[in-house]
Amino acid sequence: MAPEKATKPKGSKSPPKTVADFTILPLTLPSLSGLPGQCKNAKHYIYVKPHAPSIPTATNERSLFIANIPIDATESSLRALFADQLGGSMVERVEFDSPIPAQPMHKRWKTDQPSQDKGDKRGKKRKRKEEALVAEGVVEDEDSALPSIWPGELHRSGSGAIVTFVDKRSARGAMKEIHKAAKELKLISWKSNNAALGVERYKSHTTLTYPPASTLQSSLNAYLTQFTALESMRNKLRKTSRSVPDADGFVTVSRGGRAGPARVEDAERKKEELEARKKKNAVKDDFYRFQNREKRKEVEMGLRRRFEEDRKRVERMREGRGRVRPET
Amino acid sequence: MAPPATKRRKLEHSDSEEKSEGSFAGFDDTNGAGSDASACAEEDDLDRSDVSMSGAEDFEDLKDDDEGEEDDSEEEDVEEEGTDPAPVVKAANPQKPPKRPAPSLQDGAYTSESFKSNMFKLQVDELLEQVSLRYGKKEAPAENAMRTLKGILESIPSRDALPILEAEKAFKSTGVAIPFPNPRPPKDAKYKLQYERPSSINATGSYPLKIATRNDNNFSIDLVVTMPQSLLQDKDYLNHRYFYKRAYYLACMAAGIKESTEHRFKLSYDYLNGNHLQPILIVVPSGNGDADDFSSAKCQIRILVAVPEDTFPKNKLVPGSNCVRLKGSEDEATNKALHATPFYNSTIQADANVTAYLKLLHATASKADAFRDACVLGRVWLKQRGLGSRSRKGGFGNFEWATLMALLLYPNAGVGGQALSPGYSSYQLFKATLQFLARHDLSKKPFMMQAPGVTIPKNETTPVFFDGPRGQNILFKMTRWSYTRLQLEAKATVEMLSDSVFEHFESAFILKTELTKFKYDATLEIPMAALGLDDTSDDHQQELSDVCRKIHNLLTRALTDRITSLSFILPDEDYWKISSQRPKESQQKSLLVNFATNPANAGRTVDHGPSAENKQEAASFRKFWGEKSELRRFKDGSILESVVWSTKDAGVSVIEQIVLYILKQHVNAQTADQSKFSGDAFASLITAGGMQGQSGVTPFLPIMNAFSALETDIRELEDLPLQLRHLRAADAQLRYASVEPPTAGHHPASVVMQFEASGRWPDDLCAIQRTKIAFLLRIAELLPKAKSDYTARVGLENPSQPAQNQAFLDVTASGGFSFRIRVYHDREITLFERQLKDNSLDGASRESAATSLALYKREFIQSSLHSQVLQTLSTRFPALSPSIRLMKRWFASHLLSSHFSPELIELLVIRTFLQPHPWAVPSTATAGFLRTLAWLSRWDWRHTPLIVDFSSTFSANPADLEDTSAKGLKASDLERIQTRFEAWRRIDPAINRVVLFAATNLDEEGTTWTDKAQPEKVVASRLTALAKAAVKAMRADEERLMNHINNTANTTTQPDLSPQSLFTPSTSDFDITISITPKHTLAPSKKLKSSLQFKNLEIQHQASKGPASTPLVQLFAQELRDIYGDAILWFWDPQTLDRIVGLWHPGVTAQRGWKVKVGWNGEPVRRKGGEGGVDVQLNKAAVLSEIRRVGGEFVRGIEAKQ
Repeated sequence: MAPEKATKPKGSKSPPKTVADFTILPLTLPSLSGLPGQCKNAKHYIYVKPHAPSIPTATNERSLFIANIPIDATESSLRALFADQLGGSMVERVEFDSPIPAQPMHKRWKTDQPSQDKGDKRGKKRKRKEEALVAEGVVEDEDSALPSIWPGELHRSGSGAIVTFVDKRSARGAMKEIHKAAKELKLISWKSNNAALGVERYKSHTTLTYPPASTLQSSLNAYLTQFTALESMRNKLRKTSRSVPDADGFVTVSRGGRAGPARVEDAERKKEELEARKKKNAVKDDFYRFQNREKRKEVEMGLRRRFEEDRKRVERMREGRGRVRPET
Repeated sequence: MAPPATKRRKLEHSDSEEKSEGSFAGFDDTNGAGSDASACAEEDDLDRSDVSMSGAEDFEDLKDDDEGEEDDSEEEDVEEEGTDPAPVVKAANPQKPPKRPAPSLQDGAYTSESFKSNMFKLQVDELLEQVSLRYGKKEAPAENAMRTLKGILESIPSRDALPILEAEKAFKSTGVAIPFPNPRPPKDAKYKLQYERPSSINATGSYPLKIATRNDNNFSIDLVVTMPQSLLQDKDYLNHRYFYKRAYYLACMAAGIKESTEHRFKLSYDYLNGNHLQPILIVVPSGNGDADDFSSAKCQIRILVAVPEDTFPKNKLVPGSNCVRLKGSEDEATNKALHATPFYNSTIQADANVTAYLKLLHATASKADAFRDACVLGRVWLKQRGLGSRSRKGGFGNFEWATLMALLLYPNAGVGGQALSPGYSSYQLFKATLQFLARHDLSKKPFMMQAPGVTIPKNETTPVFFDGPRGQNILFKMTRWSYTRLQLEAKATVEMLSDSVFEHFESAFILKTELTKFKYDATLEIPMAALGLDDTSDDHQQELSDVCRKIHNLLTRALTDRITSLSFILPDEDYWKISSQRPKESQQKSLLVNFATNPANAGRTVDHGPSAENKQEAASFRKFWGEKSELRRFKDGSILESVVWSTKDAGVSVIEQIVLYILKQHVNAQTADQSKFSGDAFASLITAGGMQGQSGVTPFLPIMNAFSALETDIRELEDLPLQLRHLRAADAQLRYASVEPPTAGHHPASVVMQFEASGRWPDDLCAIQRTKIAFLLRIAELLPKAKSDYTARVGLENPSQPAQNQAFLDVTASGGFSFRIRVYHDREITLFERQLKDNSLDGASRESAATSLALYKREFIQSSLHSQVLQTLSTRFPALSPSIRLMKRWFASHLLSSHFSPELIELLVIRTFLQPHPWAVPSTATAGFLRTLAWLSRWDWRHTPLIVDFSSTFSANPADLEDTSAKGLKASDLERIQTRFEAWRRIDPAINRVVLFAATNLDEEGTTWTDKAQPEKVVASRLTALAKAAVKAMRADEERLMNHINNTANTTTQPDLSPQSLFTPSTSDFDITISITPKHTLAPSKKLKSSLQFKNLEIQHQASKGPASTPLVQLFAQELRDIYGDAILWFWDPQTLDRIVGLWHPGVTAQRGWKVKVGWNGEPVRRKGGEGGVDVQLNKAAVLSEIRRVGGEFVRGIEAKQ
């Protein structure tokens, strides 16, 4: 393969090797049947740099951030990429930022510190305190989660991933290897070993959509148990927040307290009563001459305003479809 | 009111004493200067003879004694003129139509009474501005030419009185033919033909009245030449004698103009309004650029011939008398027994009244300020409806409109009173005139205006509006069917104008309505040759109109209530050279009979006749229907004559069978054989689109029945923890709107299930979803137990949004129909709303809550509401369901359906049915489809919202006028929706989020079906472009048809437009084409045709099929959409899935500065010229490779534009 024979006709110059603090690593794509000629020497570019979030995490020192991962990347394909072609660093895990289907979205309360949860979802025991930050439902564990209906993940085009290595050294080694590969124009090829592609992916989705009733039932039972436990804890939290004034001496209004539905109805009724009384006592609004005058003025202003609006509208219509002229 | 009007009139008719001769000449003085020249000129008595350019003021230029002999009813005008000798000031004779002042509040805000609405008024103003002639530089050459013509005409030498044969012989040398009407003058006639200088030459018609409009960028000026009375005798009104003299006179003028050396005009003959008694001269510019070439004015000059008023006794020319005697029966006694000749009489009167009407119109124009504008509105209205003064165009044109309106403005117009008031605005005049037409069936009940003693023959079917003072029926050129057509149009427009909610300006004035494909449901094309008319006959015209009348009567009788209207389109007549007699009409031409059908009755297979006991009627019935008639005994025991039609042959509609049968039976077999019937051409593109003998909803009955059975069965389940409140349809298949009527193995139809209220639900969205699953599992367990023919299983969805609906239940009934049940719990909406307002939630969570809320409202509330409405509407309008299905098929064929929610497409079609103006409610799939397309092509969605009022109670039948009050939307609601729309445009001026805005009276939000760029702006533009292209093709086809019936050249080369061609997608505009391996595509033919022959086997076979799951390729396509988001727009046809095509989003193809998250697969490129700068651009090759990897075996090949 001739790497200099660039994919783009104008590219007599080789593509850049770095951008910002990213190293650009071109990946050679497998050649497949049915693709047009322009794809023959297609390359995929990933952008790699050491992971450096604004608020450091426990693992950021041994992680790399990769932007623009291929849409069919999986943990195992990235593991293989580093193991086989980039110096053999050991990957501990990979987190993708925009998988398809997306991770379940749990609504959360606002917090002062950013959620730690995102980085440590898998494998780790979640702390009860943290779980309470979820505003509704529960964060499911293996028992309570509904069965997955997709055989595997794809990713949004142009999304990123954080690759965490077993230790700092491996991460540094991998980065070095990438530098080298980019510099030396070493051919790194992308091997997608995502099994869940093509017809099989959609076939198995169709099957997975209908899980057995027993599986569903047991996940339900687990969920509802966890939910009841969590809900009582949340209620307790709410109760405390109801009674405890904050630093400024205000009590946060929160859900709970009086029974819901009755209150709304009461309020409505009260409001109506008040309005009725107000009406009865108020001076009729056509009592004074100035009231009539003002009302007339108002009506006239309204007409004037509407006329102006209509004129503008006609003008816009003219812009839209030309002059008012009968069709021929 | 009266005094000021009188005063004004006095002022205006100041120049009444002008001498007639030569008064036309006024062009010289006035038009060039263009200012108040005429006023000045008129002050000067010396210039009197040269007064005005317009001729409108010159109606006095008849003989003096005219005034004395004026009919008494006209005395008003005349007396004033007579007794008020020439006040010098000329009040209102504007040289140019007054320039319209810029719209201001005064004529806007307070005109809601007189102008419907501000918007309407503003648009009317602009329309008038656009169509009216400017009377400026452009028209000057034409006026020049008229002066020249006048000069020529005045100097033509007289010809001596000669007997007819001799006159003809003497005339031969000129090379000009004499356009004698038929029958030709008898050889032994005793009277003589003669030419003398005309007694006056005047401009008449719309031009001098300043109400002329450009018609397809063309207009005509009428020049009326009055024959000197000395040429005529009292008895000339008899036996065409006047018309022979008139023809000779015209020929002499033609010869004179032809011979005049210094001026070259092109001359041809035509019949005035197609009336063969009134030949006229048409003068068109020579085009050679000399002084008299008026090509630049884009007009033609018509020279008409008139007789001085009261040359002939009026009482002899009333509609009831006869003026064409048989040979040798000149005496009065036999005269009485003769048939009346109203047409002949009226034609003579028309020639005698030219000036009288000009006078009338002019007087009216000065009496009622808005009269001119109302005339122009009327002209536009008529033109858009294809109506005109020519007999073949209906016989009701601009002149008739203006005159009718003027007469209605006349005080004491007669029975029915004065319908119009001079104080009316142009809009009010226009509407009131239409109302008059809509209310009065003048062909049944003649309107006699100040005409005591005049009677109309009983058997007369011509509509009559008899203008007593001038002794003429102004509608004499009309026929019964053309009046019916006019009346229907008037009714439809009055209905539009009475709508207090919607504007309808476009429908009233802008849209061309007379398009066969849009307006009518079926068309019968009869070649002229097939009618077997004797084309050598003298009276071809008359014969043709007789045939039309016969066909009209026959078909109206035969089709009864199957049709709502029947009208003709007749081929145009051509001018002919002055050197020859009128050539015979080409037999290659055709005429069109157009039908508007009533969908409820059109497909009825049995027509009941009279009972067998009623001998006389039964005999007439049998005679009419011939062998088709049979005596039948019906269920209720009655024995009736009846006619039965077959619906076996799906290609031939019942109406077609009837029409062809009757033509064969009563006209001749040849006519029936050669005629071509076409109707509902597009219906065959969808299953059961033709509604043959059934309503449009019939194919959906099986699934509807299965659905109600399911509801009953679920209600009967005893062990459910909560009682079912209701089960509602929320799917196109359950509202008669899916392209294919569902059959076994269809995609499950969505259904919304709601349980009775209960306090036991958890108060947490995620937990609610799990509880729903528990319910569904329970039903899935119970239902098959209770009734073994159900199968049910629970499926999962929305894995990424645990607060949204998580599961559904697919239930398949024994017939093979399946339903997808989702549980609706009304507490969810409150919970979402609460989250939305909860400040303690983080931003992403509230955003998710907002999205979920919108989705929830759409899926659980609006969708079922919409389905309910559509179910009702579909039964109310039989053609609605097939029209929607056809429209959806079109969207699918053009690969657009994935971008438009089905409900939106349905709304588009519903709009066509609920606001059908200017047409009636569509009665076929074709009409519904084409009119929706036409509207789409016009829809300026950037500035206009789509608003549908489901509850509007317009009358489906324009005949009942009374019921026009809108019950649903009110003007204030409309305003609110409009404000909401404008707010959207303000906050998102680039139109990225809400592109189309579609509100209904049940959903004022307007974004339910279109939020989140569904469709995108690019896609909406493509829709508009496609609709425009389709409409253009239809219009071209319409033109082809018109050329064809007129036998205009180059028609044979163009084939008919095939309906299929509108459904052929063009993929040339797309960047990526993924072709799918044939194994995975859906072949529609495979689905449609069952190889099984026996019905029972088929049923068994169907029952064994489970519900169809989403086609795998579609899942693939949807996932591509998820992966590429905005970067690539994907299109596919869900019915075939043979390819998926993509379009790079215009925003992403450009190279731009590098950043980490561009949101698409980018490749780095060095910035040109920049030092070390790096840009990023879309890595198209890698994207294609990715798609190929994800697609796997689906992909046969990918092509991409370079």
